[in-house]
Amino acid sequence: MDRLDVALATHFSMEAAPEALASRIVERVADAGRGVRELLAEIEITSTDQGVCLIRGEHLAPPSSAKARRWTEQARVELAEYLEGKRTFFSVPVDLSAAAPFQRDVLETARSIPFGEVRAYAWIARQIGHAQAVRAVGTALGRNPVPFLVPCHRVLRSDGGVGGYLFGTRVKGRLLALERSTPVLQGCTTTRIVCRVGCIHGRRMRPENQVIFASVGDARSVGYRPCKVCRPLADSTTH
Amino acid sequence: MATDDGALMRRVGRGDRAAFGALVSRYQDRLFTVAHRLLGNRVDAEDAVQRAFLNCYLKSDSYDPRWQVSTWLYRILTNVCVDELRRRRNVGSPGPVSDSGQPSEKPGQHLDLRRALERVPTEARLLLALRYVDGLSYGELAKVRGISINTVKSQLARGKAILRKALR
Repeated sequence: MDRLDVALATHFSMEAAPEALASRIVERVADAGRGVRELLAEIEITSTDQGVCLIRGEHLAPPSSAKARRWTEQARVELAEYLEGKRTFFSVPVDLSAAAPFQRDVLETARSIPFGEVRAYAWIARQIGHAQAVRAVGTALGRNPVPFLVPCHRVLRSDGGVGGYLFGTRVKGRLLALERSTPVLQGCTTTRIVCRVGCIHGRRMRPENQVIFASVGDARSVGYRPCKVCRPLADSTTH
Repeated sequence: MATDDGALMRRVGRGDRAAFGALVSRYQDRLFTVAHRLLGNRVDAEDAVQRAFLNCYLKSDSYDPRWQVSTWLYRILTNVCVDELRRRRNVGSPGPVSDSGQPSEKPGQHLDLRRALERVPTEARLLLALRYVDGLSYGELAKVRGISINTVKSQLARGKAILRKALR
């Protein structure tokens, strides 16, 4: 054992967990499951041939074509996975053609906010070149036709307040907490491939074969390669 | 006589909260130490341990008895910690806000080592923490991170080389 070993052994010496940690964990377990999953039952989704065009908590007219029905079904599956913490991105297309140009700009910008991150209404206003139009940005997001797919819940007030949300601020908080506890990059220990969580390959992965990585670079450093289907390198948050 | 880990896990898989409480009590110190050393502060470490145990409870039905419970728990914990480190990197956090809950030793040396550890890549730092907190073998480390034993050895050697250079 050299000096570095001794120093490391001292640095990493065992310490006691905070008092009452065990009871807090047991309490948290009792609360588990009371999350946002029940939301899915009250959500209605409708689509056009171009993609999902409306998500609301009320009855909607069913999709009119087979293609639109497929988009709706895909959106429902992806949304369920997202709410269960098994998906970090949506691949179903959205149809924002009914939105006015200003609102479309706002929604497209909100769509670029990475999973698990938050931005201020003022940030969106600056991004679309209307720095003074913060209130209008809030209104545009409040009328977001496709919440979840366009993640307006990732937009908060500059003072740290949660701001409004179509399904209520409680749900907004729950979604943010869900995203905070959902990893983004997972590797499969048998194939040594690293995917974005939600990739079709990831769904086939057995839970005991799943390891999480902080970046594609980290995964590569221990012999994993990025998935060619979900292409995690294309996601700016996973480099 | 204390119940063995496997029996405890089987009871947790059946939804036995008392068994879960016993499992938490048995492993909380080890898991907390690893999380604290990786994340740098007690608040984040406590949150990571809570999330890890929560995942353990929710996934207990998928626990494979061929795994040692400690290895399985470390896999879950390191997954949580690594994702927290990714999130910090993305939001441009200046790094962990360290606290004063460190064990006592020569202060200068400890501070230097902590700073030097920040230069070690995530995967190697993680392996060092598991190796020195709980003395995990190369085989156990390989299983925890889903890598080969040779990769474990090379990562540990690389991590130590970086530390030696930084502390010189």
